[in-house]
Amino acid sequence: MGVLEHFKECKTLLDYLRTLPADVIEELFGFPSPCLAIFRELPKLAQHYVLRILYVEQAVPQAVVASWVSQANVKEHTQAVEALNRIRVWNEASMPGGLPGWILHHLFRHNLKVALLGGGQPWTNTHNMDSSDPKARSIKDLDAYALERWEVMLHYLVEKPQKADSVSRDTITTLTHAGLMEQDANSYPTITNEGFQFLLLDTASQVWYFVCKYLETVRTRNLNLAECLNFLFSLSFGTLGKDYSSEGMSEPMLNFVQHLREFGLIYQRSRKAGRFYPTRLAVNLSSPSRKIHLDTDKHKTGFIVLETNFRLYAYTDSDLQLALVRMFTDFLYHFPNLVVGNVSRDSIRQALRNGISADQIISFLKMHVHPEMIKTSTTPNNPLPPTVVDQIRLWEMERNRLTFVDSVLYNQFLSQRDYEVVRDYAQDIGVLVHMNDQKRTVVVTKNGHDDVKKFWKRHSKNS
Amino acid sequence: MEPTEQNLLVVVMDVNPAQKYVRSDIKSFFHVVDSVLTFCNAHLMLHADNKVCIIASHVNQSHFLYPLEIRPGQQSKVTRQTDGQHEVFLELERCVRNQIKRLIMDESFGKFDSSAAVIGANTATCLASSLSRALCYIHRKDKETRPGEKLNSRILVVSGSSESTAQYMAFMNGVIIDACVLGSYATLLSQGADITGGINLRPPHISGLLQYLMWVFLPDVTLRKQLALPPPDPVDYRAACFCHRQLIDQGHVCSVCLSIFCKFSPICTTCNAVFKAPPMVLPKAKKKRPAAGNI
Repeated sequence: MGVLEHFKECKTLLDYLRTLPADVIEELFGFPSPCLAIFRELPKLAQHYVLRILYVEQAVPQAVVASWVSQANVKEHTQAVEALNRIRVWNEASMPGGLPGWILHHLFRHNLKVALLGGGQPWTNTHNMDSSDPKARSIKDLDAYALERWEVMLHYLVEKPQKADSVSRDTITTLTHAGLMEQDANSYPTITNEGFQFLLLDTASQVWYFVCKYLETVRTRNLNLAECLNFLFSLSFGTLGKDYSSEGMSEPMLNFVQHLREFGLIYQRSRKAGRFYPTRLAVNLSSPSRKIHLDTDKHKTGFIVLETNFRLYAYTDSDLQLALVRMFTDFLYHFPNLVVGNVSRDSIRQALRNGISADQIISFLKMHVHPEMIKTSTTPNNPLPPTVVDQIRLWEMERNRLTFVDSVLYNQFLSQRDYEVVRDYAQDIGVLVHMNDQKRTVVVTKNGHDDVKKFWKRHSKNS
Repeated sequence: MEPTEQNLLVVVMDVNPAQKYVRSDIKSFFHVVDSVLTFCNAHLMLHADNKVCIIASHVNQSHFLYPLEIRPGQQSKVTRQTDGQHEVFLELERCVRNQIKRLIMDESFGKFDSSAAVIGANTATCLASSLSRALCYIHRKDKETRPGEKLNSRILVVSGSSESTAQYMAFMNGVIIDACVLGSYATLLSQGADITGGINLRPPHISGLLQYLMWVFLPDVTLRKQLALPPPDPVDYRAACFCHRQLIDQGHVCSVCLSIFCKFSPICTTCNAVFKAPPMVLPKAKKKRPAAGNI
């Protein structure tokens, strides 16, 4: 399965949670931060429903809920109801009088209220912390740290990773588990097609995909999945540049913190520091529409200018970004802070052969487009020159001229009549793929073969 | 990629002690504050990019309650979580409560409460200035957004002040104004809400305020279209005259600056344009046809 397909499968938090067993979700409802995260991801209308019945301690008739929307929007209503049902935020309950009703999950209701209004236990032991950090980190430091950690990992994917000391065993295990790398003949891990696709995703999606894959492996590390998720959600609601206490955490959870520290989601001065900072990679982790702007002097999120003459200017010093752009561009000149290149048929085909799709290239370009291009463009949502975008798509289509269909060939008909009967029948039931009147051959799809065979038997018996 | 949309909600809260519902029961004021705070937190809860700004509107002054400005060099105090409430929500709540406390403790506040109310002097809330501040804030935030991002803003006015026609001003602009009126009918607000496509609602009980806020005012513009919301009240579209600040059905309009007057005057008090006297045969001319002057 490609990264993209998989990515679609657990693109949002709700989709991911749906893949989890029910008891884990039940456990998650026991903490305020996952409830808040789940609530944020619900469709707008569903959020509205939840808030309206947040203070209603009993079941609400389904007909009443349906009357809250206008008649023209029944579709949205069913979608919202379905979303709430699937994640079991509310459950069906029978009302006195036999009407079907909805009732909010009691744990969810309780903990969402806690998150909104207060009460219960704090998420971390931070309130016991007496003073602020004497060596506090600024947001800029945190950004630089997060970027460095994340790039080390991506670099490891791109480069021939002979020197394996830059990343730890755990990262490699996760990368291999995620299918981004595989062992080659010399049992060195090398990047796969999926790995290339992964590199072109935006940072937020990369982090989410990677964390999802990492969570799949936590069970083997003796960690409780629900506990880890709860910690991640608490982290994602943290404030950038604020320190939190790791006091009172169990030994496996401290291990988990160390892993996150390695991926760059957490900054911790030392293992024993007792306090940690969430970085931009971790904040709002669960929101799919978030964008990470990790901008340092060297590295800018928006650095590409693409012109209608297929010339590409990349204003960056980052080796990683250059390596990514090089995947589909021919470089012409290389200056200290600028690289000029051409997007050509050959360079795009090279990328396509690596398993990268045109859409990925386009979305990569769109993501990293220079702010000046957005400003000057007449369509700020679509700042790339349409001619280049179309051409990249056309170059991809070029490669897909052949489509393969499993099928069965009929030939050596004894008479023209027999041939015509079979051909017409196949055409009628819509399974005909190809026919040739001169050679009297008929090709039908594999699924249609049985029908045609039965028909032919019936036909030859009758005549 | 979808363009990211941010929702900015500016709440203008009337903290005037001369409001009718506050005078009748002081506790209900705290209830309203609680409801508004919970409502703001609920708005923040909907989406990570949602933003809130709260402005207190008082007699002759208006204050930002949240967010507070951070002056360069000034160390902002770190809020630590004390219970299960989300940190951001806690910070908002604390900040607003402290600000309101300071406002009430302030000397000038008490003075208005006792003396002015008795004498019946000008105790009107200066809603206009609060709204202008809200608009300025929205404009600033709009400019600060990155290219490619969109900011949807709206204003909610929670007020129980009786109508003050002294502050007639037009707020026709791209921002939606919602009005939540606690008390008697407010002409000015209902006009503003109607013109800008917002909602004007008068909750019958203050105790149920939160539920009304959550139901009617929390959904954003796109979602409102889908919901079955209470039908709007008919809107009183009469304007207030500039000379006596009274609502009038018919009046005189200056052809130069469009000021409204209930009685004819030979010189426009706003722009000093000179009009020709009305012909004596038609004493009840609907609209004054003034001399164009030298323009």
